[in-house]
Amino acid sequence: MRLTRRDRIVLFAPLAVLLGGWLVLPAVLGLVATFTTYSPFTTTVRLSGFANYTAVVQDPQFGAAIRNIAVFTAAAVPFELAVGFGIAYLLRRPIKGRALWRVLFLAPWLVSPIAGGVMWHFLFGGATGILDFAFGWLGLPEVASPVGDVRLALSTAIAIEIWRVAPFVTFLLLPGLVSIPNEQWEEATLAGASWIQQIRHVAIPELRTLLLTVAMLLVGLSFGAFDTILILTGGGPGTATLTPALYSYGRAFQTNDWPVGAASGWLVAAGVIAVGAIYLRLARERPAT
Amino acid sequence: MTRIILLPLALAAFLLPLAWTALAAFGLLPDNSTRPPSWTGPLTLQHFSEIGVAEPTFWQELATSTAIAACAAALAVGVSFLSAYGLARSYFSSRRMLTQGFLVLASLPVMAYVIPLSDVMRRVHLVDTFAGVVLAEAAVTAPLAVFVLQGALAQLSPEWEEAAVLDGAGLFRVLGLVVFPLVAPSVAATAIVLFVIDWNMLLVPLVLTSGEVKTVPVAMSDFFTFERELDWPTAAAALIVSLAPLALIVALFHRLLERFRLDARYERDIG
Repeated sequence: MRLTRRDRIVLFAPLAVLLGGWLVLPAVLGLVATFTTYSPFTTTVRLSGFANYTAVVQDPQFGAAIRNIAVFTAAAVPFELAVGFGIAYLLRRPIKGRALWRVLFLAPWLVSPIAGGVMWHFLFGGATGILDFAFGWLGLPEVASPVGDVRLALSTAIAIEIWRVAPFVTFLLLPGLVSIPNEQWEEATLAGASWIQQIRHVAIPELRTLLLTVAMLLVGLSFGAFDTILILTGGGPGTATLTPALYSYGRAFQTNDWPVGAASGWLVAAGVIAVGAIYLRLARERPAT
Repeated sequence: MTRIILLPLALAAFLLPLAWTALAAFGLLPDNSTRPPSWTGPLTLQHFSEIGVAEPTFWQELATSTAIAACAAALAVGVSFLSAYGLARSYFSSRRMLTQGFLVLASLPVMAYVIPLSDVMRRVHLVDTFAGVVLAEAAVTAPLAVFVLQGALAQLSPEWEEAAVLDGAGLFRVLGLVVFPLVAPSVAATAIVLFVIDWNMLLVPLVLTSGEVKTVPVAMSDFFTFERELDWPTAAAALIVSLAPLALIVALFHRLLERFRLDARYERDIG
């Protein structure tokens, strides 16, 4: 229907209040506060320019967190997309109870990230864990939990994230994959295309925007990695699994360095906004040729 | 035919950790000290009652989590539905970009603004209140709902609405009697996905509460923070109990969840 001015106000006002009050306003106030010495626990506030940001950037711990999250994102997102796509690809032809298969695969995503941390802590831990069980069967000696090992902790956190998120990717991609007309696959098959060529020349072009959208969500998830690692390693050993979110949380709520915590939170936001700008550019409807 | 083998194998690989947890919850534990490892029993429901001993308020936390997730999902979907309709029926050149902007907002980690949010909530006395957590969680998830529902609503032909308008129906009659029934499956599917996200959310309730209102994820993080002892079978039982409601809802409504689509132009049923 044609919307009047009044209709529009009625339709958009509730969302504006919700997002304005609980997202935009705190974010903007937080941004302003990071240029001052403001903290909820102080009474005097002075302008401090970029001092908080300088403190964050010069902190070696934050440097470690940025390196970790770069590795985390660069490893987790492609694997999540590839594994999630692979399972969706297996489900692309009609199969009895496909909608049920889709939600069965979703089970790991239903486990909260924090519960996942608790679970993997025990599965990797000795006495009743899955790791020593497998090693025992193979006749190998017991191993220490990989989350306690400086060299293995980050890879382990990445693997756990892939286990949790790849099923969600399948869930999101499957509707797109099943909607590709059969003729397109058949043509490709007749032309002698291998399955890899079919994916490259049929699936990826057809699903381009959907893949970009999923990738955007995955990058956001990676940049915010927090819950599982909090339980599993708390960022350690040392700074091996420290993420920017853990860093911000620790500064703001544990060491009472509120301005530094808020400033580092905004740096993460800036990273997501930068990736978001790339997404908006890539996902623009391309004129039909 | 490869998929007849690959699909069950992939599913088994993804579900194995959960199966291991479920076995532990029912008292079936491996003994890794023997060679080869053996299994010890007996099968018991005792660990489920031990949850209440380790965490006396667990069942209350479960109820709080359910109520908060249900209210936050309902609020977010309701508010988003209105805006998504407004977007779908507004015609301007950058509408697509604005909608995709909501997706970028949905991708923004909560950590980016939760620190000042907790300060603002404290100042308006919404810290440690049910309403405070519900509103904050609804705000976190609303952008995703706007994106998904806008897609579903944009697929709807405006002709249905025009007929109702000619009969003299106003905005809310059109929305309630024409638009909503047509997209109800998409709205319900979105609500279920949001419920799952809200139920599992840690950071928002963690920084906005201090004990009065406690959700299950916050209770789990307490065990870490205060380094309290917790044995595996009891933890496993708690994990299974906190997963069960989500698994049940998702399994019951698996046909409905087909309607959760990031791109509504892909219309074919999954079946």
